[in-house]
Amino acid sequence: MSETLFSNDNLSAATPEQLAMIQQLDLQTLSEKYAPLNLQINILSTLLITLLGVLVYLQPWLSLPQTLMLYLPLGLSLFTLLGLGFCGLAYIADKRKRYALRELDLHFSSGLIFQKVLSQPITRIQHIELKRGPLERYKGLASLQVFSAGGAMHTFELPGLTLDTAEHIRQLILQHKDLAQHG
Amino acid sequence: MDSSEPLQDLKHQAHTEDQWQRLSPIAILYFAVGFLRGIFGNVVYLLPALAFSYSSLQKHPYIWLPTITLLISLMFIVAVWSFQVYRFRFSENNVEIRSGIFSKKQLNLPFERIQNVKLEQPIYYRLTGFACLQLDTAGSAKQEAKLVALPLELAEQLKQQILSHKSEPTEANQHEIENNGTNNSTNSVHEQLLNQRSLSDLVIHGITSNRVWIILGGLAPFYDNIAEKLNQTLNSLGIDLKELFNLETHAVWQVTLFALSLTMLVMMLMLSFSILGSIVSFYGYTLSKSANRYIRRSGLLTKHEVSMPLSRLQLVMQKQDWLDVLLKRINLKLEQSNAQLDHASPSAVSNKILVPSITPLQSKALIDDLYPDNQLFNIGFMPISGFYLVRTIGYFLLPIWVLLESFVLYHHNIKVAGVLVGLFAVFSGLFYLRWRRWGVAFDEQYVYLRRGLIGIDYVCFPTYKVQQSQFKQSVMMKKHQLASVKLILASGSVTAPLLPQDVAYKLINHCLYKVESSKISWM
Repeated sequence: MSETLFSNDNLSAATPEQLAMIQQLDLQTLSEKYAPLNLQINILSTLLITLLGVLVYLQPWLSLPQTLMLYLPLGLSLFTLLGLGFCGLAYIADKRKRYALRELDLHFSSGLIFQKVLSQPITRIQHIELKRGPLERYKGLASLQVFSAGGAMHTFELPGLTLDTAEHIRQLILQHKDLAQHG
Repeated sequence: MDSSEPLQDLKHQAHTEDQWQRLSPIAILYFAVGFLRGIFGNVVYLLPALAFSYSSLQKHPYIWLPTITLLISLMFIVAVWSFQVYRFRFSENNVEIRSGIFSKKQLNLPFERIQNVKLEQPIYYRLTGFACLQLDTAGSAKQEAKLVALPLELAEQLKQQILSHKSEPTEANQHEIENNGTNNSTNSVHEQLLNQRSLSDLVIHGITSNRVWIILGGLAPFYDNIAEKLNQTLNSLGIDLKELFNLETHAVWQVTLFALSLTMLVMMLMLSFSILGSIVSFYGYTLSKSANRYIRRSGLLTKHEVSMPLSRLQLVMQKQDWLDVLLKRINLKLEQSNAQLDHASPSAVSNKILVPSITPLQSKALIDDLYPDNQLFNIGFMPISGFYLVRTIGYFLLPIWVLLESFVLYHHNIKVAGVLVGLFAVFSGLFYLRWRRWGVAFDEQYVYLRRGLIGIDYVCFPTYKVQQSQFKQSVMMKKHQLASVKLILASGSVTAPLLPQDVAYKLINHCLYKVESSKISWM
């Protein structure tokens, strides 16, 4: 009975099971502001730590162990270089994050070396949270957190959505027939 | 029916008059034990302080007396006070509990939110016919409620009432309630015994389960003391360890023999501890079935009863370790939602129903009873790719081994080099076994997973229990057309690594389709 009624996205395909194919998702990009914001935060925090290190090195008040003073410049420059490298990688990774919304499930694809696709059926959602940090608020962004019984370790999160999109998705989920049924 | 009339009265009383009820005074005992347990549970943190004051204690040995008096009176006060402030009441579909000495707690728990009802009977309740009723919710551990002292039969009745209460009275549920209603009157007759464990089974379980290592770990801080004590005791018996192990006076074989027998002695001691632990927790084990509910009862000192409706069962796991393989036994785990484990509450651990050390035939019968028409033992498993061996042995084991080996050979240490070759062979063999065991399969209703090292574990769950899925593929795996699949259930996640890409897609698509089209609730 329910099989004939089953639809997920595109109704023109042949069998119901073929409709639910995650290899043919209509992937959407996150907000344009998300990756640059993350990059800025990452670079700033890396530079801040570097600055702290430099201050420790230059300060005249405390006499630190000789070996520490010897290796500090080397370690610090290594840290800064690696840190900035990671910032670049994270930026590319952020740029590649995508999400997809279908009638019955949400998907999030991410990863640089390890490509991941997370899929969350809407019937299994327990509750949703819209999370906005101070910087996200400043840029008009929001993260959508979706909780299932899979536990806190497996919270499905869509980061870097514009506030409008996030609230739109939230409304879609809250009004979803599958969710309404299970309370 | 006659015998239950006064109980009905009592229940009725609890129902209609919205009066707060008090516990029976026997509960004081319970609170006192709880207090003691709290103290001993935190004794680890107090140890440094105790050790610090040890020297001063030696000067004033009688300080123990006031300390103990103080502790006992404190325990008495806390217990009586806890009992005094504890109130509970039932309404039509609600249980309310007020408790707490310093921080007052008021808990309001609707029946429909209760996921699990457990009956617990500590040894000091058994003589007086009381029981604790533990109510678990799907949510956080903070919302857990425990009715500390109820007459056993009232507790049984409440349990029935709570369990037969359903959140949504749809047609199917109504049907079930009616079924329960008819069952209630002839409850004890309809309960069907599925499995029973004899004492010898429990001894086997004690031998095969490695709870020994927990005890060993717990004793670790005291090793020095124990060794010293042992030495002293042996000395007083006329045995001098230092003398025995002295290579100058004894031959090597003698010393080895002593060491071996000593190790054996310790092992035997540990083994008996393990067997004891197994008997304490599983004594009188029965697994029975009443309507759609599975009930486990066991315990030597504290009798535990866990009751689980079939719909709450998330996954069945048949586990077999290497020792189990030798003894041809199996541990069967019936896992429920794990949400409470995050909070590390002790009751969450017993949320699993474990059927200890059963035979393969019994295990198959049980799995067939839980999941009719499952094909766990006759379905063809899809093996994972041989790339697993390349990844584990080639990328991980081999580089480390080559590095160590060349280092050792550079120092001309042939003996160690030989040992390293042996170790490499053993680990490679283990990785090979792991690869051979790992496989996945699915049919219209269930997903099956096989894995293991020396023994083989089997996992089986209905497809619609999946909460979330994960498809994972590295650049390297993409080149080989491989992908890993992780299925997240309420009881934890299940992983099938390095499947052919099309199989991985097929599995995830199938799961999503089943979840979204079946409309069956996962709990």
